[in-house]
Amino acid sequence: MTATAPAESAPLLEVSEVTKRYPGVLAVDGVTLSLEAGEIVGLVGKNGAGKSTLIKIIAGAERADEGHLSLSGEPLDLHRPHDATVAGLAFVHQDLQDVGDLSVAENVMMGLGYPRRLGLFVDWAELHRRAAQSIARLEADIDPRQPVGELSVAQQRLVMIARGLAQKARLLVLDEPSASLTDEEIDHLFAVVRRLRDGGITVVYVSHRLEEIFELTERVIVMRNGQLVADEPTSSLDRSSLISHITGHEHAQTAVERRASRGVGGRPGTGAALEVEGVSADTGVHNCSFDVRQGEILGLGGLMGSGRTELVRAVFGADYRREGTVRLHGVAISHKDPSQSMSAGLALLPEDRKTQGNIMDFSVRNNITLASLDRHRVRPRVPVPSARSEKRAADRRIDRLGIATPSDRQLVRLLSGGNQQKVVIAKWLEQGADVLIFDEPTIGVDVDGKEEIYDIMEELAGEGKAVVFISSEFSELVGVCHRVLVLSEGRIVGELEGDAVAEPAIVEICYSQL
Amino acid sequence: MSDKASAQVTSSKSNDWRQDLDLLKVISRFGVLITLLASILIFAVLNDRFIEIDGIRTSLNLASPLLMLALGLTVVLAMGDFDLSVTGIQSAAGAIVVILIVNHDWSWLLAIVVGMLFCLAAGSLNGLLVSYAGMPSFITTLATGLILIGTRYEAADGRNITGSQDLPDIYRDFGVGRPDPWLELHTPVWIAAGLAILMWLLMSKTEAGRYMYAIGGNPEAARLSGINVKALRALGFTAVGFMALFAAVTTTARTASSVADSGFSTLLGAYAAAFLGAAASKRTLFNVPGTVLGVIFLQAVDRGLILEGYSTGVRDIAKGCILLLAMAFTRIGASRR
Repeated sequence: MTATAPAESAPLLEVSEVTKRYPGVLAVDGVTLSLEAGEIVGLVGKNGAGKSTLIKIIAGAERADEGHLSLSGEPLDLHRPHDATVAGLAFVHQDLQDVGDLSVAENVMMGLGYPRRLGLFVDWAELHRRAAQSIARLEADIDPRQPVGELSVAQQRLVMIARGLAQKARLLVLDEPSASLTDEEIDHLFAVVRRLRDGGITVVYVSHRLEEIFELTERVIVMRNGQLVADEPTSSLDRSSLISHITGHEHAQTAVERRASRGVGGRPGTGAALEVEGVSADTGVHNCSFDVRQGEILGLGGLMGSGRTELVRAVFGADYRREGTVRLHGVAISHKDPSQSMSAGLALLPEDRKTQGNIMDFSVRNNITLASLDRHRVRPRVPVPSARSEKRAADRRIDRLGIATPSDRQLVRLLSGGNQQKVVIAKWLEQGADVLIFDEPTIGVDVDGKEEIYDIMEELAGEGKAVVFISSEFSELVGVCHRVLVLSEGRIVGELEGDAVAEPAIVEICYSQL
Repeated sequence: MSDKASAQVTSSKSNDWRQDLDLLKVISRFGVLITLLASILIFAVLNDRFIEIDGIRTSLNLASPLLMLALGLTVVLAMGDFDLSVTGIQSAAGAIVVILIVNHDWSWLLAIVVGMLFCLAAGSLNGLLVSYAGMPSFITTLATGLILIGTRYEAADGRNITGSQDLPDIYRDFGVGRPDPWLELHTPVWIAAGLAILMWLLMSKTEAGRYMYAIGGNPEAARLSGINVKALRALGFTAVGFMALFAAVTTTARTASSVADSGFSTLLGAYAAAFLGAAASKRTLFNVPGTVLGVIFLQAVDRGLILEGYSTGVRDIAKGCILLLAMAFTRIGASRR
C-alpha cells in the first residue's frame, strides 16, 4: 500500500510511523498500520503496551509527536476530539461516558446538535425519532425517552454505539466493551458488531479476553512496549501463539495444563476456616451455605448477576445480612459492619479496586497500612502512625508481591491495574487476614499480571490461608481452584471438586438452571 | 505495565528533568505561593506602612477569628463535606454567652462553658443529620445555619446586644488582650495559633487524621478497610462547632457585643482561605498549614488595599479574582497530569 494510491482503493484509515512520548516513556513507538473498510480488527496488548495512547491519537485527544494519519488516502489532521467525530471516527470507552440523568435520545444525539423548532426550541419528537433510528439498527429494545442511568451496563454500551452510528461513523473503536456483560449480552453485542461490519463499518475491538478476539475478529494487531509486534489474520493464530506475541514469552500455558502441572487435586486440609450457613440478604442472596478449609482455594462461578458478589458482601458484612450465620475458625461473627469481620481475620478484596479497593490518591505505603494502622504506632498507646514502621511494612509487601512501583511513596492512581490489585492484596496481608475473598481480582489485568495474581493466591493457600476466588472467566477457576461452587439467581446450584472441575461442567451448571 | 517499563519511567525521570520543568507545571504547583509573595511585594513597594510591625500585629489579631472558623472547615472539607452553618453557630453562641453574662449576671466562665456545650451540640446535630441520617451536607448545614441565624435574630429583636459596661475585663481580654512581652502579639493570635497547631497535629500526625483523608479520597474503600466512616464524619461537624465557640468569644469580646449579622462574608472568607490552602498544597488536599496561609494571604490583601484607600467593594472583587486565579492554576495542573 502506498500513500499515493487513488482514493477509491485507499484503506479507510492509515497510521504511519506514529510516535508519542510522555515524560520518561515512549508510549507509542513508530506504529504503522492500516484499516480497511468493513473489517473487524482486534487490538490486544498488555496494560501499558500503548493501545490506549494509540486510540487517543486516532480520537484526536492526544497529538502524535511524529508520524501522520490519513483517511481514505487524504491526510487527516486532528486537533481535538470533535475533528475525529466529523471525520467519522467513533469511540466507545470502557468507562461509560454517557450522562445518566439525560434520556437515551439526548445521549445518542449529543454533540450533533439537537433538531430545533423555530431555531430555538428542541424538537423532541424529531429527536426521539432520529435516536430511535440509530437504536433500531442495533436491534436493541431501548426506549429513547428512558434516562440512561436506569439502563443496564450492556444497554448503556449500546447507547454509546448508537451515538457513533448517529454520527455516521465509518470507524468504531470499542474499548473492552464486554466488561461486566453477561454471556447473552456479549452474544448480542457480537451480532451487532458483525451487522455493522456487513454495512461497511470498520470495527476495532480492544479486549483482554482472548476468546472474544478469536470468536469475533478477522485480523489481530498486537502491541507490546509501544511497538506493533504482530499484525496477522486471526485464523493464522492460536491462543498460545497470540499470548506469546502479547507477552514476548515463548510458551503460554492453558488453564488445563496449569491445573495438571500444579497438581490442583482434591480438598486439602481438614478444619474449616470459614463456615457460611443459610445466608440470605436483600440484595438477592437466598439461603447459601458453604465452607472453606485452611489451605484451600474455593472458586465461585456463575454468570454475571448470579449473586456471587452479593453473597460475599453479605458474608463480609459490607451489606446487611438478613439471615444466616458466618463462623471464622468456629467463632460466629456479627453482621453489623466490616470491622467485625476484619478483626476476626476475614478480608474482602472488592470487585472494583478503583472505587472500593484503594484510595487512589493515597501512596502505595498509606494504602498498604490503611487497614492495620494501629499496629504501626510510634508507641503502643499513642494513636500516631510511625512513618518508619509503615515504610518497613510497605517495602516488605512491595518486595514480596513484586509490586512494580518506583517507590512506596508513589500514588496508587499512577500504577497499572495489576499492580493496583496487588496493593489491595498487600493491604489485607498486612492486616493479617487468613481468610481472603478475591472478587474478580483479574478484571482489566494483563496476561502476566493475571498469572502473578494466581501465584499469589496459591502461595497464600500454601501458607495455610483460605482463599475464595470469584471470576467470570471460568478458565481461571479451572486453573487455580481446588473446588468450585456455581451460583445462579442468588443460590448455590452446583459444586465441582478435584478432576470434575472443568470449564464445560461449570458452563453446563450455569445454563441448566435458567 | 511490565517491571521493565516502569523501571524505564523512574530512571528517565531523573535524566529528563528539563522536560518535567515546564512553565505550566511550575505555575500549577507554586502559582498560589507566587501570587502571595508577589502581592505582598507589590503592597510593600506601594506603601511603607504595609510592613510596619504594629500594623501586621493588628492584622493578625483581626484575622484570628477567621482562622478559627477556617480550621474547623478544613476538617469537614478534607472528608468531602461542607458546613455552611459555622457562622450561624458562631453568631448564636456569641449571643448566648453575652446574654448570660449581661442579662443574667452569670460568671463569664460558666457562660463560655454553656456556649461550648451549645456549639458541640449544634455541630453534633449537623453530624447526625449528615453522617447517620445520610442527608447531603451542603443543603443540610445551610438549613441549620439559617435556623440558628434566625433564632439569634428573633431572640434580640434583630438588635445588637451590647455589654461594654457589663462584660468583665477578663472576658474582654479574649478580644484583644495585653500583648505578650516577647512578640507583642495579642491574645486571640496566640489562641488561634494554639488551635492551628492542635488541628495540624490531629490532621497530619494521628490515625484519625489519616482516616479522615482516606474518607475524603474514597469513603467506600475506607469503610471496607474497617474505618468507622460515619463516626469520623460526624466528629468533623462537631469540630466545626468547637471552633465556632472560639470565634464567637473572640468577636464578642472584641466589640463587647453580639452583633446581629448573618456572618455571610465571614463564611465566604473562611471557605476562600481553606480552598486557597488546598490549591497551594502539592496534592490539592485541604490541610491546616495551607488554611493558615490562606487566612494570612486574604488578610494581607485586605490590609494592602485598605492602605491604598480602596472600598469594601473593590476589596471583595480583588479577593474573588484571587480565588478564581488560584483555582485556575490548580486546574492547569490537573488537566496536564
